[in-house]
Amino acid sequence: MWAQIINAILGIWLMVSPAILASDKTVANNDHIIGPLIAAFAVISWWEATRVVRLYNLLPAAWLLLAPWVLGYSDTTAILNDMAVGLLVIILCFVKGKVDARFGGGWSAIWGKDPIHAQEAARQPRV
Amino acid sequence: MMNKDEGIPPGWNYNPATWGQRLPIIGLAAVGFGIATYLSLYQLHVFPTIWEPFFGNGSQKVLNSGVSKLLPVPDGVLGALGYLSDAASGAIGGTRRWKTMPWIVILFGLLVGPLGMISILLVILQPVLYHAWCTLCLCSAAISVIMIGPAMDEMLASLQYMRRVKDSEVSLWKAFWGYKSVQGKVI
Repeated sequence: MWAQIINAILGIWLMVSPAILASDKTVANNDHIIGPLIAAFAVISWWEATRVVRLYNLLPAAWLLLAPWVLGYSDTTAILNDMAVGLLVIILCFVKGKVDARFGGGWSAIWGKDPIHAQEAARQPRV
Repeated sequence: MMNKDEGIPPGWNYNPATWGQRLPIIGLAAVGFGIATYLSLYQLHVFPTIWEPFFGNGSQKVLNSGVSKLLPVPDGVLGALGYLSDAASGAIGGTRRWKTMPWIVILFGLLVGPLGMISILLVILQPVLYHAWCTLCLCSAAISVIMIGPAMDEMLASLQYMRRVKDSEVSLWKAFWGYKSVQGKVI
């Protein structure tokens, strides 16, 4: 969970960094779009049942590595900022953290074959 | 069985539908409702000014923006209604509702989850379209996002239950609406 707290902070940092770094419009728009997405996915993955949502951040974070080149950033600080945040978020996405609760096999157990919750239900006596 | 009394879904080690699980979400929805109601009363010109401690006339810009007026009613009103339905669908039903009323749990999940993500869209639009931030709108969005994670486990329990209903060839329709005739047929 600590990793996803840091990712949420990194997302919020992207939202405020254009004002602090006096970024131009292209950089500011990109950061203002990607920042809230990263922060939201990170916050959702604070809870164990939705910890998998942390991986949704791989896409916006990978875009941060490409954006300076695709959008043609001219400011070195902005390039470094986006790429550093992108790299950190990608690394922290893979930190799953502690999951103590059991969820009957989780989300894939809704459609997967012979899910854990069905196996356990079969073992319980009926009323 | 102990699991039956406590309403713990099979393969789980806690019940996601207890009041301890649900009340914090209902509380957050109530706070969100308060904020959204205040914002919509400004948008409806009941209050002449809006509280904005950080961003100057940012709140004014955002709350009078084109996007906020896209629909027949100001977006604050929709937000307030959204939070009210979050709270209502979070409160309806007992502590085994993931099984006894899947419809309300799944409705609750859809209201809190996908609709909560709309607030992220609004957060993106504030600076990108209007170069402005609105403090209370950001607070409201933060509440919406914080509610998503804790609400989803209950929906997961209901969806897994629906899966077991499907596998045991009991009517999905009756199980979804919690018909008494199918209660107890599927664990």
